[in-house]
Amino acid sequence: MGPIVCATRGGEASRRTQERAIALAHERGIPLIFLFIADINFVQPSNASLAEILVDELERLGRGLLRIARARAEEQGVSAEMVVRHGAVRQAIEDFLGEVQASTLVLGAPGTGTEKKAFAAGEIPRFAQEINTTTGVEVVVVE
Amino acid sequence: MLEEQLIAVEALTIVSLLVASIVAITVRRIRIPYTVALVLAGLFVSVEGERLILQLTPNSAWILYASIPEFIQNLLDFEPEFILALFVPPIIFEAAFHLEFNQLRSNLVPILILAVPGVVLSTVIVGGIIWISVGLSLGAAVVFGALISATDPVAVVALFSNLGVPRRLSVSVEGESLFNDGIAIVIFNIAVTAAIVGSFSLAQGVAEFLWISLGGLGVGVALGWLVSRAIVRIDDYFVEITLTMVLAYGAYLTAEQLQVSGVLAVVVAGIVSGNKGRQGMSPTTQIVLLSFWEYVAFLANSLIFLLIGIKINVAQLVPPFGFIMVAVFAVLVARAIVVYGLLWLTRLGGSEAHVPMSWRHVLFWGGLRGAISLALALSLSTKPLPESGMLQVMVFGVVLFTLLAQGTTIQFLLNRLGLAEQPEHIVARQMQLGRLYAAQAGLSRLADLRHDGLLAGDVWAGLRDEYHATSSQLSEEMNQLFVKYPDLEREVLLQSRREALRAERAALSDALRQGLISERVYRKLTSEVDHRLDALTLIREATTSSTTAPEE
Repeated sequence: MGPIVCATRGGEASRRTQERAIALAHERGIPLIFLFIADINFVQPSNASLAEILVDELERLGRGLLRIARARAEEQGVSAEMVVRHGAVRQAIEDFLGEVQASTLVLGAPGTGTEKKAFAAGEIPRFAQEINTTTGVEVVVVE
Repeated sequence: MLEEQLIAVEALTIVSLLVASIVAITVRRIRIPYTVALVLAGLFVSVEGERLILQLTPNSAWILYASIPEFIQNLLDFEPEFILALFVPPIIFEAAFHLEFNQLRSNLVPILILAVPGVVLSTVIVGGIIWISVGLSLGAAVVFGALISATDPVAVVALFSNLGVPRRLSVSVEGESLFNDGIAIVIFNIAVTAAIVGSFSLAQGVAEFLWISLGGLGVGVALGWLVSRAIVRIDDYFVEITLTMVLAYGAYLTAEQLQVSGVLAVVVAGIVSGNKGRQGMSPTTQIVLLSFWEYVAFLANSLIFLLIGIKINVAQLVPPFGFIMVAVFAVLVARAIVVYGLLWLTRLGGSEAHVPMSWRHVLFWGGLRGAISLALALSLSTKPLPESGMLQVMVFGVVLFTLLAQGTTIQFLLNRLGLAEQPEHIVARQMQLGRLYAAQAGLSRLADLRHDGLLAGDVWAGLRDEYHATSSQLSEEMNQLFVKYPDLEREVLLQSRREALRAERAALSDALRQGLISERVYRKLTSEVDHRLDALTLIREATTSSTTAPEE
């Protein structure tokens, strides 16, 4: 059975999402991968010169967040890998799922936090449906 | 005679500082900005002060104090240029010294739009309305338009820092004010000359405007750079503070002597030394220097707003009340057109330059008028402009309106727009962090005392264990915060990275000072650190709505 991929970016729903992914990995006895996508689509043309440094800093942030998630998993007896990719969030997730032949994708759906969201309201279920249809990967959305 | 005058100045200063202190204590209980309270205190002193002092101090020994209101009037009858030269440089220098290049650069488009075409447009609109409605000569109306176009956001910015308003908004308000003060003064002087002479050449006016403005900027850059170079090579905070003092007043006086803009010179000198000069300062010097300038600006602001209140003769405002209301209307209309109209142009500059609608509401209503407008109005007394009396009364009225009506309601507006809210988890973390910092500083001090043999072993051990227990408890509480507020994970990572980069920058300055690296290497490496800090700001703004502009 392919690994569980937990896409996380820190933030309000991330802890619940990670806990759910850890519980699933524990329950099913399959590997867990925490995935962070460094997406710099918010960079305006006037900041294009910063792009390289932005990616580097975002990756650092991602690695930091993933280390926290991995430590959380290890505390519960689940070993986890951490992977940072960059690009547009949806495409990068899809590509990665195919690359590792994932069985399950765990995603968070932020509710009341202060963070800006990668997905607009109502887009997460649609995205989950699309992923499931095109790749056959089970998608778990954590509210 | 001179001795008596000096004693009177001393008495005036002491009484003013006492009043300022009382006001500062009082405003903690009532929710109005400090500067507004100072104006109210000044108004009270001007109306009731003399009578009260005479009632309270009938003895001849106190007669000196009883003459204070009269003395203040005498002081205000001094050359208004003296008031400008005394109070304006420290206020402007302190604000400019705090502005970081990075923040200024990312807000430069809206700041320059508001400060240059904004002031010109505001002058024309206000002047036009006043000319048509009040019946003043066109020259006098334009003079009024120019002197009332300088915004004074002291009251608003103080509120911003208390309420945790987004830093970008605060920088926009401060930046606009710094530059529009200088631009308004330049236009004012050109307009006054034209009104007195009775003719105006647009080409000559534009040339003069460019010469005075660019000349002021040039003087500021040159002196700011020179003093910064000196500061980088000195490690003695008394000397460094003294040099910044010389720079603040020196830039103003030098520029005025050269007949270019003194205010713009101080603005740029402050920005250059606050960024370039500060890079070479030790952390201790930075703390001492910033505290010093904060205090000097507090003193200057306290005295000038108190004097504004004292100088405004409320009874004098009653007969021309209708004209004052027209002036208030003209100022608000002009501000609305500038803020909502001109700032629309920022859309063309991309999202970084774009000013959201909620911020524009704040820029509109937060455009208070104060010290500069009043000082310019006072300076009209020395000029042969027949309508100067009416202009002064209208300026007093507008300043009073903006301070009392806008200054007291801006917090309500910020709350309504949701700009004054700090997320609960940020406040909670700051509380824990503050306590932890304080506990660690306490422990560190005790360790020093123990090291110097000033603390007995038993006492030290007892206190140390107590502090360790407190620190452990606070650390545990901070961990609990992560459970309660998962947003904090990302926030803390970003903030910690920022702190680390700042430490890297400080280390590079140390390395330069010790001669371990060359200036060229230093510039290259600090530039990379600065880019990383910029990147973190963008990441934070892109991922956290609490620090970004709300979407329209």
